[in-house]
Amino acid sequence: MATQYGIKFAIHLITNHFGNLVAKVCENLLRHGPLTLDQLIHYTELSKEQVKNSLLVLVQHNCAQAFVPEPEDDGSRLRIRTEYMALFDNIIHRLRFPKFLEIVSRKLDEECVELLDGLLRDGRLTLKQMVDRASQGKENAVATNAVREILCKLLAARFVERCPAPEPVVSTSFKETTTRKRGAKSAKIFEAPETLEQRVIFAAVPGDGIRFSLTPDTGSNVDGETNSDDAQMSVEENVEFGAEEEKILWRANFEEFIRHLRRKVLVENVRAQHDDGTATVLNAVLEATRTVERKVKMDNSVPLSLDTIVTEVMKTDTGRTMTIDRIRASLGQLGCSQRMIVDDSYSIDLKKIIERARNEEVESIVLKRYGRDAYRMFRLLSRDGDFHDTDQIAASTLVEKKEAPKLLHKLWNDNYLYMEKIPVTGARMQNTSITMWKVNKPLLWEYVLDEMYHAALNLNLRMAFEQEKDEELLNVPKDKLKEPGPLQKKYKRLLNVWLLLGSSLMKLDDALMLFHDF
Amino acid sequence: MSVLAGKRKRQELASSLSATLSNEERVVYNIIRGRKEMGIWQGDIKRETNIPDSLMKKSIKMLLAKTLIKEVVNIQNKSKKVLMAAEFEPSKEITGGEWYTEGKLDTQLIEALSDVCMKLILRQKVSTREGILDWIRKVGTEIFPGGVSAGQVEQILKVLVLENKVQEVNSTGFGDFASVPAGEVCYRLAKKTAVGVKVGAMASFPCGVCPRINACTPDGVISPTNCQYFEKWLDF
Ligand code: SF4
Repeated sequence: MATQYGIKFAIHLITNHFGNLVAKVCENLLRHGPLTLDQLIHYTELSKEQVKNSLLVLVQHNCAQAFVPEPEDDGSRLRIRTEYMALFDNIIHRLRFPKFLEIVSRKLDEECVELLDGLLRDGRLTLKQMVDRASQGKENAVATNAVREILCKLLAARFVERCPAPEPVVSTSFKETTTRKRGAKSAKIFEAPETLEQRVIFAAVPGDGIRFSLTPDTGSNVDGETNSDDAQMSVEENVEFGAEEEKILWRANFEEFIRHLRRKVLVENVRAQHDDGTATVLNAVLEATRTVERKVKMDNSVPLSLDTIVTEVMKTDTGRTMTIDRIRASLGQLGCSQRMIVDDSYSIDLKKIIERARNEEVESIVLKRYGRDAYRMFRLLSRDGDFHDTDQIAASTLVEKKEAPKLLHKLWNDNYLYMEKIPVTGARMQNTSITMWKVNKPLLWEYVLDEMYHAALNLNLRMAFEQEKDEELLNVPKDKLKEPGPLQKKYKRLLNVWLLLGSSLMKLDDALMLFHDF
Repeated sequence: MSVLAGKRKRQELASSLSATLSNEERVVYNIIRGRKEMGIWQGDIKRETNIPDSLMKKSIKMLLAKTLIKEVVNIQNKSKKVLMAAEFEPSKEITGGEWYTEGKLDTQLIEALSDVCMKLILRQKVSTREGILDWIRKVGTEIFPGGVSAGQVEQILKVLVLENKVQEVNSTGFGDFASVPAGEVCYRLAKKTAVGVKVGAMASFPCGVCPRINACTPDGVISPTNCQYFEKWLDF
């Protein structure tokens, strides 16, 4: 679920990108959950036309998804009405477009970057639209085949995907558990979606067979899935090839980008905690199992045998010189100890690495905001997650006994600690209680995440404010700004301000992903 | 042995002296002594006897002068001095334990000890608790005239781990660990990023560590557009 400030920040982004009307519709979807067109008109007090157009914009930019609730068996709901749902994650992803482009620039080439840039700007495009876009401002139109080839590259890397079904039918009753027929191996990894949002997204996504394939549906449902959209696709099966290709809409596959970023964070954290060799091993394992991963938030890496891991590590530039013993030692550092290994297959606890990184982030806030004594006490509580009483905390962390309760209360007051008073009934001590403290991580992380959205919103607002303040500068001819003088000074300051605010926001966004997407 | 001998001597002294005490003095002394290492607050003595206030104060003064009792600072309440028979050492509850001197946390001692531990670990790369303790006992007598207990070293190491300055690891027996048998607990300096302790994303700009963030709203009294923290931060 999106937090309070998460929603505020999302609305701020939508307002900036698409204006107030769209933002109003989006806000209602975020606050109320899925709504029908009529309900939206009622809540927003906008005209039908305005709401419809806003929805179109949101869907075009993958910030909303329509779906049809499955009629219930008793026949009580005969009228099928489409509902709309805001896709919070996709809205926040808009902040990360530069990072997505950077990944493609590193992994593929500039042509791919350009095509992806078009997709990010316009949300969804057909091949023809891509060709038109590429041809803009050029003397001769770009050949369709050339664009198709670039698209192929992006599809092969899974950076681009087919758009989801426009209106999948989704069961809104949560009783049944989703089971999909797949290989026994993936069944183990796969977990049933939990929230309605996940359910809708899940139902709308085409099966892997066609999701990343350029050619129109071959009709052979590759893995025998019965996704709602497959029916719709097969109706079009007989249509002529060219005409069909025309209709297919493409978009950036955010999931793959987030997976990429998560992998990078995992590897870099391991590098900081251990060493380059261990980072190389983890990277090789993740790289080898890339396409088998079924979701972004994998708790453990897909199990691999030592032989496979060694082969994969040797394939990489940095791993070529590593011996088997060295690789095994690295796996040990990653928590794969000999006795935990079943059937000689190694699986790395990725969740633990993410948790460590989250702890570090929170601890660094505590250190800066509350000082060293509080930092020690917080770390003591955060490490074992158990209850400790005030005196015990003061004694173990060597904090002055009088100071400890004050600091603990401060942390508690700001939601960083959880407190409970336990009444003590003894002969001599009547009506007294012992105060017990602990760190409740799930609660704390949600709270910190909300603070991060708040901070991100503030950074954005400050950026807008700084720009407004020095608006005249933007109208001054460039040459004038090059001459020394007050104008140049002001301009230089603005550039510095932008740089600092911008880089802070990007760094903060990494932390947002760490707490929300990873 | 010497402690015991001293105790006996003092006891003899007390019994011989008690003959010279006045009645009130003896009553007060017995109450205080009965509380052993916990001691007692003056106000509580009053509740246990019916000696008039002035007479009791005088008795206490006399007992102090004869060094039969002593005043001890109470960590729980520094203004409430505790009286204790001279032969007892104040309990942990009263002194706050070995890190407290005169009822105050001895930060100087803590710092000095942390410093010595860090320096040794830096030099040895990997150290064990016993190794550190031995070294301090050998070279540290000047810095720590009162001596250092094994428990104290252990706790300092725990605190250094909590401060993220030192890591507790199990020896692998190889490389830096060669001097320590494999599997044994040892300590090494924590890995740092180039600029010291890793500064998180939030800790790098004002809002992330702002004490007023809960009161700050886009168009409130405190807002990102009028905020002083931002002014200072963006002042190039
Ligand atoms: S804008 Fe200023 S007052 Fe508001 S949270 Fe940020 S630093 Fe604090």
